[in-house]
Amino acid sequence: MAYVATRGGEKAIEQAERLFRQDLGTIDPDRVETIRRTMPYLIDRVMGEASLYSEELAALALAQTGGELSEAVLVLRAWRTTQPRIAIARPVQQSELLTQRRISAAFKDIPGGQILGPTLDYAHRVLATDVLEGRPYTPPMVDMADRPAPQRQPVLADWQRQQGLVKPAVPSEIAPEDIPDLTREPLLLPASRAHRLQSLARAETGGVLALGYSAMRGYGNAHPTVNELRLAEAEVVVRHPRGAQFSAGRVRVSQAEVTSKEKGGYLELGYAATFGWNEVKVIAAATLDLNSAEAPVGSAVHEEFYLYHTESVEASGFCIHFKLPHYVTFQSVLDAMRGAKARQASARAAEENQEESVP
Amino acid sequence: MLSVAPPDAAEIRCNAVFEALLWAVSRPGETQLLPAPGMAGIIETLIDLECTAYAEGEELRARLAATGALLTEDIGQAGYVFVDSLMDFEAWLPAVNRGSALYPDVGATLVAAASHGRGSRLRLTGPGIAENRDILIDVPAGFWDLRAQLSAYPEGFDLILVDGASAIAIPRSTHVEVL
Amino acid sequence: MSLATLTKPWAATSYGFLDASAKRELRRKMLKAVAVPGCQMPYASREVPMARGWGTGGLQVTLTLANPGSVIKVIDQGADDGVNAASIRRFVSSVSGAAQTWDTLDASIIQSRHRIPEEILRENQVLVLQVPDPEPLRDVESNISIARQMHADADYGKLWLTLYEQIVRKGRIMQGASYPALVNGRHVITPSPIPRWDVPKLHMSKHLTILSAGREKRIFAVPPFTRVEPLVFSDRPYLVEDHAGLTCQRSGLSGFFMNELPMDGGGSRFEVSDSNLGIKAIRRTEGEPDGIGDTWYRNGEYSA
Repeated sequence: MAYVATRGGEKAIEQAERLFRQDLGTIDPDRVETIRRTMPYLIDRVMGEASLYSEELAALALAQTGGELSEAVLVLRAWRTTQPRIAIARPVQQSELLTQRRISAAFKDIPGGQILGPTLDYAHRVLATDVLEGRPYTPPMVDMADRPAPQRQPVLADWQRQQGLVKPAVPSEIAPEDIPDLTREPLLLPASRAHRLQSLARAETGGVLALGYSAMRGYGNAHPTVNELRLAEAEVVVRHPRGAQFSAGRVRVSQAEVTSKEKGGYLELGYAATFGWNEVKVIAAATLDLNSAEAPVGSAVHEEFYLYHTESVEASGFCIHFKLPHYVTFQSVLDAMRGAKARQASARAAEENQEESVP
Repeated sequence: MLSVAPPDAAEIRCNAVFEALLWAVSRPGETQLLPAPGMAGIIETLIDLECTAYAEGEELRARLAATGALLTEDIGQAGYVFVDSLMDFEAWLPAVNRGSALYPDVGATLVAAASHGRGSRLRLTGPGIAENRDILIDVPAGFWDLRAQLSAYPEGFDLILVDGASAIAIPRSTHVEVL
Repeated sequence: MSLATLTKPWAATSYGFLDASAKRELRRKMLKAVAVPGCQMPYASREVPMARGWGTGGLQVTLTLANPGSVIKVIDQGADDGVNAASIRRFVSSVSGAAQTWDTLDASIIQSRHRIPEEILRENQVLVLQVPDPEPLRDVESNISIARQMHADADYGKLWLTLYEQIVRKGRIMQGASYPALVNGRHVITPSPIPRWDVPKLHMSKHLTILSAGREKRIFAVPPFTRVEPLVFSDRPYLVEDHAGLTCQRSGLSGFFMNELPMDGGGSRFEVSDSNLGIKAIRRTEGEPDGIGDTWYRNGEYSA
């Protein structure tokens, strides 16, 4: 087996993986729980991109990948592959969401009120360096309002529809179990509405932001106004085989509706939602949705372009695959190149010979 | 990091049925042995709640319903059609989904009971067949004419003909000549 | 009926990693792919514990086919001990209980990236090719909806035109690996980035080839005894890599596809790309039985 002796690749890769994992040290439930408890927005982002709602598993994924986000999303999605689908939840209605934050930039005030909820929007983003000097930062307690905001909030677009500002909603006559599921069937284009929104929901946050931002800067045809932005919790209502519907739990969700200029007498709406609280992602994604209708083929706001290129696992995987050896394909290219050169050289030589032979 | 259980009985069954079907469709006309007689194994191997299916016969319908598949009354909607006879094919064959040139995969799989080794002699040519393969199948001769009329390759439907525990596949890529 | 009847006892991972519904979808799409040779069939392509672009399409096919009686060979660039090939082979074996081999003749399933082994595959072997980009039209039409319509219309004019332009500009077709080929006279495929040397091995072969692109979510197949014709002009013969005259410095083999290794001070040496074939040849020089099977190329000429 002399051929193999000089290689030794298998041992090298095993040790390389060990190096990575050794640097991270022992992963125990405490570490996972600490990540889960202290990094809710990171957990949300990972759950959204993984399209798997489990804070504990997301925290575990972050722990074992050391926070390498694309790796964390990949392990979660791969784990998801092994799990059966046992029920199909009832579609969530906006007005049923247990809403913790809901704002609109389109109006000064809206029916139900502007509910700021938890946000850093108006905070000064100052690094709390005191903490490093031994003075722990304990945030001041929130003053309770005289009366709590209602758990559920009306839908601004419903009011706009009543006013004739937004086109009447035409709900598809489709049973929940027949809504196409992107994780069970491939994305075909033009994408169904469900597939587009599902694809955006699991898209890579940075990718959606980059393409959405390009549209906002003017590479799209519509500049968004945030019609309504919500951070909420949704009940996951499933049907027991005996018929009763029950809530299997709650998931944190974000959703954004953006609007722009009028078209055909109505305001157009772009929409996006995702697991977890991730405002940047849903605003950027809704902007892409808003811009897709008349997007030129091949532009950043064209559905095929942004859905394919914001797919986190595919994009990151393909990017790192270029580290794999490509020497066979390279050899094939070299051969064609050398063949063409040899052909040109012999053609030149033939020409010169001919010139010489001319008296 | 990972512990994997050995395959259970269903897993072993489905793996074997699939191997037989893949071999059958790769070598049209060649008889493959299913682990058990009938269409139940094929249903277990291929059909679940992602599928729309059509079947004749209560037993087949019940079996399909148990997979969670959507049972349709409209044969044209079905990706998978199960029939226990091809004798009255004229009535429904034209409605079977043949997909489109854009999406040939939408063309249906038609699983039918038919006796092997007797009936019309067919000469098969096409992918999966070195030169040609002659087989006997007990299907009305007119069936093959209608199949040819209906198919505009790559549009078409793919046939799996089951006789007891034997399966023969005749995919749409196979040219059938009645001898 | 209760909730319990809808599911089964919790297990960390299903047999063969993929859950039952993923396997059923792959089975359905593989059968369709074989039924319409060379036609790209869309499939959901589940995430597997490997990054996209690292053979996840091939892996899903292999995992669907594998059972504890399978014997798996995985190669990358022709080598069994390539880091990623070894990783895929170990994974398949660990989740399916399938045996592992380096010997092409012993394998029931051969998953490969960028090569087809030099020994002739038998009818009871399945070749699974990993495909990075399943669309042969991508270079002439990047929009996949338009490309799909072109396949529907068998409209391959743009592809022919680029090949023609290469001849005009360079005097020959410059396509390296991934040479487009017409399957069953109807659908043009990319045979995956195998060298031109390997494309004839798909034509009227005894074995079934399944090509699967996990990232792009397309699966297509070349059944046994199916015409696979590289796109060429009648007056310009198909050119495989000019490797017939090269000799492997390690095994002494010649007439097979080679890896070129640059040498200090200029020049190159060559090693046979099918690493297990090289091992067998070395064994032969050491006086052991070599066990080399029939090969597609003999004396550097395709002759199967």
